[in-house]
Amino acid sequence: MTTHHDITAAPARALAHDRPPAVRCRGLTKDYGSGTARVRALRGVDLDIPEGELLMLVGPSGCGKTTLISVVAGVLDRDQGECSVFGTDFASLSSGGRTRFRGTNIGFVFQAFNLIPTLTIAENAAVPLLLQGVPRREALERARGVLASVGLGERTDNTPGKLSGGQQQRVAIARALIHRPRLIVCDEPTSALDHHTGMKVMEMLKGATSERGTTLIVVTHDSRIFEYADRIAHMDDGQIDKIVTHAKDL
Amino acid sequence: MNLIALRMLTGDRAKYFGILVGLAFASLLITQQGAIFLGLASRTYQFVADTPQADLWVMDPQMQHHSDGKQMLETTLARVRGVEGVAWAVPMYRAFAQLRLPDGTLRTCLLNGVDDATLTGLPGDFAEGSPESLRHEAAVAVDLAAVAGKLSVSAPGGGSRPLMIGDQLELNERRGVVSAVYRQRPGFFWDPTLYTTFSRAKQFSPGTRRQLTFVLVKVRDGASVAHVQRSIAGVTGMACRTSDQFAWKTAVYILTQTGILINFAIAVLLGFMVGAAIAGQTFYNFVNDNLRYFAALKAIGASDRRLAGMVAVQALTAAACGYGLGAGAAAFFGHAVGEGLAFFLPWHLLVFGAVSVVGIAAVSAVIGIRKLKALEPATVFKS
Repeated sequence: MTTHHDITAAPARALAHDRPPAVRCRGLTKDYGSGTARVRALRGVDLDIPEGELLMLVGPSGCGKTTLISVVAGVLDRDQGECSVFGTDFASLSSGGRTRFRGTNIGFVFQAFNLIPTLTIAENAAVPLLLQGVPRREALERARGVLASVGLGERTDNTPGKLSGGQQQRVAIARALIHRPRLIVCDEPTSALDHHTGMKVMEMLKGATSERGTTLIVVTHDSRIFEYADRIAHMDDGQIDKIVTHAKDL
Repeated sequence: MNLIALRMLTGDRAKYFGILVGLAFASLLITQQGAIFLGLASRTYQFVADTPQADLWVMDPQMQHHSDGKQMLETTLARVRGVEGVAWAVPMYRAFAQLRLPDGTLRTCLLNGVDDATLTGLPGDFAEGSPESLRHEAAVAVDLAAVAGKLSVSAPGGGSRPLMIGDQLELNERRGVVSAVYRQRPGFFWDPTLYTTFSRAKQFSPGTRRQLTFVLVKVRDGASVAHVQRSIAGVTGMACRTSDQFAWKTAVYILTQTGILINFAIAVLLGFMVGAAIAGQTFYNFVNDNLRYFAALKAIGASDRRLAGMVAVQALTAAACGYGLGAGAAAFFGHAVGEGLAFFLPWHLLVFGAVSVVGIAAVSAVIGIRKLKALEPATVFKS
């Protein structure tokens, strides 16, 4: 693994490095399938992500980016190695404990938004709170507030189908932010959006998380949004082969 | 989250309608076919049900059903009356007879003869005439449902007219006169039934030594029906059955001998299977279609138990609504066709239908829940 550090160009990262790691992975491996059909998705990944950092994971399709964030977010079991998030190793938790940890500490933004089409966007955004047992009225009230902060305050009673792709992704961001998670994982958050909308979504995401010191991991192919990253980790063939602070160094 | 589950279920109206139609169809098939079967079954013992005065029926032990026509010696009546605990006992005659209508048409009919003194055993509802009219010479009462049908006679100007009070008949070549028209529930057998007195019924059907078909028994207040039943059987050597036992024996005999039981059981089973397949498949498709959203919920922090609860709420809600629609449609069907079709919808059948539909939904839900449990939340990252 090659690492290029440019501290003067990345003040946020410098600040981040003063804090304990939000994510710490050592020797992570993950295989899919078995026998001759076995595919090694992760081949001993080492990665530290300081709290408050926005790390982008880039690389060719099939290089293991999505597998890595799945393991880090606790939605996929690793085969070998260590991985802890805010000092907690998912392997040490029961299934229920893992679910609770995710529900409290991790937010998700998906490429396909995954908003439930039959719910209003306020209900969609309120889901993480409802899962934590927050009363419906209070959850919806807070959801309306978060939606207003992402510019959708006037459309809280619309269903996702009535919104544009960019607006739907803003709902997904609201859903990821509403319960104030310490880590947000985003899978291709701008791939379904045009350039202008993608930029707005990233600004919104970064703006909403930086003041809270939220850690962000963004898997992306979209080089237009690299400028928002504190660091960019390049993956290839199941390994991180380079971590840089500027896209030009990739 | 239960409300979210319901909004997921009902939000897509087309899919929700599909699930409801499947479950309603299952409910309709189970309830309607079951009700027709029970309607037919209840018609088999209509004669027993329409003779509610008796606690016990004494009959030849070989009697398989109420129209079997096996007769006893009349001395049996006196022996029954002598049993401790018997409040009263009356004779009843029941046998097939040849009936010639005023226009010469020959019909086979069932002839019932009830106690001369008390007329116990007559149907309770008379449309024309009165029970007392049976005391007139050669008097018989005829069934309202038959007078304009099987007992209609040719009219002088062509066509036909209903059999009427005052019309003369021949019963086994003996003269009878219509004195009353009674009303009763439709029976399983198609032959018209005529009522007269016991002694006149014997005159209509002479020539045999045994002319007592039943002894109807009322048990004295405070006496044990079961005890009196055993005593009568012991004293007379005859079979002594409660109304329920006699009705059940009749129903079982007729249903099994005619093959109706197995045929309807197959129809109900097929209805259940078709309904289950439609409803189960539709609900399973619903879960499948929502898998990515369930995966997203799982990733966001919904436990397996929470998701199972959501699916259970969805399944039970769909089952309740589908069952209500299906059972309601079956009840409406029964109401609309009236007495033309055998249709009996007791609460037991409604409960059976409800349990069946909930069972179908529960099985579908369990299959869906198993799928959700095995669902890797990581699939949510697959676009």
